[in-house]
Amino acid sequence: MQIGKLSLHTTKSADKTNAQQTNKASNKLSTNPFGVSFKGNVIQADVFEGTKQASNGIAEKSKMFASAVVSGINNFNESFKSRMNSIVSFGKKVTTDVFDKIEKIGSTEITFDMEGIKNKLFPDREYSVKNLTNKSVDELHTMWTDLTPAAV
Amino acid sequence: MENINKIRNIIKALGEHQDSQAAIALLTELGTNSPDDEIRELTAQTLIKKNTHESLRVVLISKGKGINDLSARVAMASINELLTLKDKTEAIKILDDTIKMHSDEEVRNTARSVRALMTFS
Repeated sequence: MQIGKLSLHTTKSADKTNAQQTNKASNKLSTNPFGVSFKGNVIQADVFEGTKQASNGIAEKSKMFASAVVSGINNFNESFKSRMNSIVSFGKKVTTDVFDKIEKIGSTEITFDMEGIKNKLFPDREYSVKNLTNKSVDELHTMWTDLTPAAV
Repeated sequence: MENINKIRNIIKALGEHQDSQAAIALLTELGTNSPDDEIRELTAQTLIKKNTHESLRVVLISKGKGINDLSARVAMASINELLTLKDKTEAIKILDDTIKMHSDEEVRNTARSVRALMTFS
């Protein structure tokens, strides 16, 4: 039994000495506390830190991209709203203008001097016997004197 | 439309106008004193067609108008119009009064000639 215990103790102590030696060697090779040797070569770069940084960069980039997208969306919304407002205000203006015009048209009294229009379109019609008979003698007097000013 | 045609239509309209007295006055004022023979001729014919005392007096007893016009064309047209009247009663009555009472001999002679024509027409 004692022999067994002793052997076990010696084995444990041997393991301890091996581990210490290994740590010393690694400390000598790199200042990086996380430095790890792979097959005898030491990776100088902090790969873990680097990986962490890279992942953070990607996240930040994605955040930037997302924020850009959001700001873009916001800008688009604002511009869209402003355009819509301008369109709506234009539509309202057009509507009010149209209603104003309709009101003006409704309140405007339109009269046609059909007799005058007919006389303009058919100048000979004014001097037709039928038309002249319906005129007063004073009017005929005026028309006659207008036609022959020298005769007066 | 020429002015002469317009005036011709005015004269025709005055011949058909309801306000006969005013129409005769206008025809006498402007038509019988017109320098244009055609207008005077048409005016005389229109006045005769009216066949009223006032209208016939203008063309029968007024010197230089109607049958007494210096233009033979106007005078002859007036006489022809008188001869075509259906009812000549008023015209003959005025002519008779003119032959008897008018101061101007030339007017009386003209009236006498026309009266003779109307008797035989």
